[in-house]
Amino acid sequence: MSPLWRDEIAIYLAPRKIALARRERGMKPRVGAATEIAVPGGSIGDVRPAFARLAEVLAEPTWQDAAARVVIADPWARYGIVNWPATRLDGDARLTHARYVLADTFGDGVADWSVTLADTPPGRAAVACAMPGQLRSTLEDTLVAARLKLVSLQPQLIVAFNAWRHRLPPDDAWFVSLDEGSLSAVHLTDGAWDRVHMARLSADWMLELERLQAFGRLTRAAGAVGRMFVDAPVWMRSASTVRGSELEWLTDDGAPGDQAHELALLQRVYA
Amino acid sequence: MRIPRRVRLDFAAEVHRAPGTGAALCVAGLAAAIGVGLAFDAQLTERNRLDAELGAISRPHRAASPAALKQAEEAATIERELAVPWSQLLGELEAASHDLSSKVALLQVAPDAAKRSVEITAEVRSLPDALAYLERLQQSKVLRYPMLESHERKKDDPEHPVRVKLAAEWRT
Repeated sequence: MSPLWRDEIAIYLAPRKIALARRERGMKPRVGAATEIAVPGGSIGDVRPAFARLAEVLAEPTWQDAAARVVIADPWARYGIVNWPATRLDGDARLTHARYVLADTFGDGVADWSVTLADTPPGRAAVACAMPGQLRSTLEDTLVAARLKLVSLQPQLIVAFNAWRHRLPPDDAWFVSLDEGSLSAVHLTDGAWDRVHMARLSADWMLELERLQAFGRLTRAAGAVGRMFVDAPVWMRSASTVRGSELEWLTDDGAPGDQAHELALLQRVYA
Repeated sequence: MRIPRRVRLDFAAEVHRAPGTGAALCVAGLAAAIGVGLAFDAQLTERNRLDAELGAISRPHRAASPAALKQAEEAATIERELAVPWSQLLGELEAASHDLSSKVALLQVAPDAAKRSVEITAEVRSLPDALAYLERLQQSKVLRYPMLESHERKKDDPEHPVRVKLAAEWRT
């Protein structure tokens, strides 16, 4: 089969969960197989359990011999906004600048992480992202064993934002991506990111929901609309309807109601 | 409604740092453009050649027939005749005769359009009157090179007038 028509495996990788979907290419691409698997003993600080579980799953022929698009959960990513430099910098210098900005925000813990910058028009601030350095090399080793070629590696917030951006206003709005244990929030001005925040969530979702609503109220400028759009698993949305909310939940009317949030996210990789 | 811009961030597919691919695409694009240009030039040359052939077929060179030549000559003669400045010429001859107190009687004015010349036949009482008329015509702005070609006294006429023939060219 031509590499242009090669099947693709979309993989979501999180500390305690992985999800996979095989997309068969051709004139009418469709999802041929999909699964969601828990990672026993997984934690944010240790990527090995997740990769060990992924290697087990990829041993099955269903998940082999294809191109791979991987989405990394936000607990393993760090984001920052890097202003356009006053002096002309080449690619390496811009990455060094981005690494400095991220270290200034998150400390020396990200010093040896892999860093990349969004492709941004000249003169505009760029989104920078870092992820553990060993993550990519371990991932590539795992994929090679299953004859999978890595063609895309993106963090969850980027995939979710690009998928939902057509539902967001360009100015003074928050986009919040929630998952089990983490929150990532992006503020939009003039159609672009100008602030990004990350937080770990406790197991008490009701408490976190109240904190999220308070966050929305506190960051809202006087007289401003300051709407907050939230992408979250179904169970979190259900809880919010019980309490009442000022949040605007992003839902896909065309998606199956029982589809796991992670699998829905993998569908949006192609958005 | 305006949509927020897509964020193009990818650790694996860093499209903005693929100068090799970009250069290859650029070279391929240039090659394609040159190829199209050469093909266009070849087609244009072929079209011009075919146009020339078509022109040669649709407009054969034919020799003019004797009748056509005669018609053309007649047309040219008519055109020359029409080009004779009759009004100015006759006006000038009349004015010259008037200046000499009508001592000159014009008998004939015969223009030759092809040579742009005119032959004037007139009668005067004496030869000095004829010479005075000639001098007057030499001052004319319509005629040039007026000359006395012949003169003859008419003995069969009781008043014995002098018949003179003058020739001149007219100015354009």
